[in-house]
Amino acid sequence: VKSRINNMYCMAVFTLNAKMATAPYNYSYIFKYIIIGDMGVGKSCLLHQFTEKKFMADCPHTIGVEFGTRIIEVSGQKIKLQIWDTAGQERFRAVTRSYYRGAAGALMVYDITRRSTYNHLSSWLTDARNLTNPNTVIILIGNKADLEAQRDVTYEEAKQFAEENGLLFLEASAKTGENVEDAFLEAAKKIYQNIQDGSLDLNAAESGVQHKPSAPQGGRLTSEPQPQREGCGC
Amino acid sequence: RVAAAMALQGPGGKEERTEDLLQQDHLQTVITARRGLEEIEPSTRDTLVLPWDRFSSWIHCICVVGFDLELGQAVEVIYPPHAKLTDKEKTSICYLSFPDSNSGCLGDTQFCFRFRQSAGRKTSLHCFLDQFDRDAPVYLKKDPAYYYGYVYFRQVRDKSLKRGYFQKSLVLITKLQYVNFFHSLLREIAPEYFEKSEPCLEAACNDIDRWPAPVPGKTLNLPVMGIVMKVRIPSRHDKPGTTQIVQSTQQTDTQVSIVLPTIHEVDLFRHFCPVFFHIQMLWELVLLGEPLVVMAPSPAESSETVLALVSCISPLKYCSDFRPYFTIHDSEFKEYTTKTQAPPSVILGVTNPFFAKTLQHWPHIIRIGDIKPTGDVPKQVKVKKLKNLKTLDAKPGVYSSYKPFLNKDEDIIKQLQKGVQQKRPSEAQNAILRRYFLEVTQSFIIPLERYVASLMPLQKSISPWKSPPQLRPFSQDEFMKTLEKTGPQLTSRLKGDWIGLYRQFLKSPNFDGWFRTRRKEMTQKLEALHLEALCDEDLSLWVQKHTEVEAVDLVLKLKDKLVQAERDHLPLKPDTLKKLQMHIETIILAFPEDLQSILLKTSTT
Repeated sequence: VKSRINNMYCMAVFTLNAKMATAPYNYSYIFKYIIIGDMGVGKSCLLHQFTEKKFMADCPHTIGVEFGTRIIEVSGQKIKLQIWDTAGQERFRAVTRSYYRGAAGALMVYDITRRSTYNHLSSWLTDARNLTNPNTVIILIGNKADLEAQRDVTYEEAKQFAEENGLLFLEASAKTGENVEDAFLEAAKKIYQNIQDGSLDLNAAESGVQHKPSAPQGGRLTSEPQPQREGCGC
Repeated sequence: RVAAAMALQGPGGKEERTEDLLQQDHLQTVITARRGLEEIEPSTRDTLVLPWDRFSSWIHCICVVGFDLELGQAVEVIYPPHAKLTDKEKTSICYLSFPDSNSGCLGDTQFCFRFRQSAGRKTSLHCFLDQFDRDAPVYLKKDPAYYYGYVYFRQVRDKSLKRGYFQKSLVLITKLQYVNFFHSLLREIAPEYFEKSEPCLEAACNDIDRWPAPVPGKTLNLPVMGIVMKVRIPSRHDKPGTTQIVQSTQQTDTQVSIVLPTIHEVDLFRHFCPVFFHIQMLWELVLLGEPLVVMAPSPAESSETVLALVSCISPLKYCSDFRPYFTIHDSEFKEYTTKTQAPPSVILGVTNPFFAKTLQHWPHIIRIGDIKPTGDVPKQVKVKKLKNLKTLDAKPGVYSSYKPFLNKDEDIIKQLQKGVQQKRPSEAQNAILRRYFLEVTQSFIIPLERYVASLMPLQKSISPWKSPPQLRPFSQDEFMKTLEKTGPQLTSRLKGDWIGLYRQFLKSPNFDGWFRTRRKEMTQKLEALHLEALCDEDLSLWVQKHTEVEAVDLVLKLKDKLVQAERDHLPLKPDTLKKLQMHIETIILAFPEDLQSILLKTSTT
């Protein structure tokens, strides 16, 4: 019963209920993701590669936030990712508090060819830990893995950093697309797993939302008939 | 719960409030700017037009193709000089602008061709931004993959030249299928140009660059080289068959020298005259998208016959490729003439005797001789057996083993024959034939229209909080069942195997194209109804009851809807977009301060 109640709370934060069953873009959950990391590590390019399957060669600096969405599938469940791409520039960091609020996943990105971006990870991690809830899944991504010749950060040390801090870890390339899909999917799987096993211990008040009567149950969304009002059918 | 909602809405200090309003203004400006183009009247828009913009809404470019003794045909001049044509396109234009067999063609000849735009070339922006194309009738819409070339070819003796002949073509390259109009235009420009040379072409281009855009439904006065042409651009809202003939009005038209009754309709009677007895069978062949080749003595005859064929199923759009004039040099020559595959669904017009051999295996061949003056009464002839078509010298006629689905309509044949005997004017004969084709086509298409309309979901199934309902799928069996009671027998006296004709038609590219268009229109209508329903909801209340992530999702979706509605020109009630925009603003203003600024500035990928 306790696990069931937990489930209900998790749903409140992470999900939007299923829409009409016949809808072509029907989805069961909505996860908020944020992408953080120094300027120029390729955050927007990762997002673009993930949502458009294309590499953006001349990516303009992100100002404020840009949003990307894509529906993925985990264990047969359709999940909509609402991805917040933040500006890496220092001067925008003052306004990032709302970015973190309610985030189910965070992609923390550094550039394997620039050591400084790796060195700053601990301050990004501090922000993420302070401003998200304890169950936010953080995945560390070493971007620009295609530039092996210019590598400045070894795979092993980053892997070790991730393990010490309980982060998922991948090296990826927004340019070639290598591991980009996996980065977003791995985080989603972890979040979904947390919902399933009820391991999320969530402070609902902090997220400022009420739980809804519908809760996930062994792959099924609701134990009761589907409430009709949920979700905009856009 | 209430406290939480209050917190979400709670405004900041007074100063921040002002800032919010500024941001709101900013959003307003962005959206108005985006909508701006739509709302400005054409007359106001004129001020934004750059040189050559107006020209290119009519014509892509004008080419002069000459004959060089060493190089063969060559493009000598292109207007405007910056007009983009790939080398492959230039080669096509060269070959297609000259008669390709020694068919005499002495004097001046006019014909038209159609060619494929080179792959990999970016479609010109004009084609995409073209708001006019939207209101064109479906059979006159631009095809992004093809250009038309309208040719005025002159071949005359000139002893001062090395070969003793002057041979040159003036060619208009455009996406518009206004054959009568462009031929008339060329009759004004080309002779002048051949006699006085280049400055005259420049002057003509300058005139054209001052023309109003070809807006469907508008009657336009178009001055060129000292004369004024008066034309009406057809619109999708025109009732089929009621050709909106342009009237000459005394008061306003004192300067109009040419009034074109139609800019695109070819003279069906004249062009079907050589194959007069088979018009009904030809209608079926075109309707079904059968491979069809017209072998004619000259490009003028081949191109006009092909255009007549394509237009005989109007208001249906002929959806396969058609080439009013096709040569052995065409880039699709191999693709279309290969014997390793069944002949493609295309209509080709050819003049080169070589095709008699190359296209021997084609199922339907129309051979026309020289078009006779309309005074002649066509004699009764049978469809000829394909095996009799061996050489170029084969007799004129239709060669095919096709068995028409519908019984022959003797009435129309008699009516037209009588007209010929009574010397009824050609325009009247043409009108009779056009009306006949229109009636058969409409009788055929109405049951399909009726059935497809029934695939639309009921209004009550539209709910703002669900995805728009989908169209029911097209079921051939279900459709065939409707024919018993509401088939073509209601509107047509023609007997025969209508069912068989439908069955074959449902497999054809013409059905595919027609159904796609209908489905798109209906889907957009559903999108529009759904958006209207959503706009009537109390979205602020919904937002209060949902989490921030969900509310953000709603804002992003509404913004996407706004973009989509504007891009696709959804058939919305007036003010729906304004309402939607106000909803977006209201929802955003209910968010905490920091999120408000993010969402006001945001873009989505």
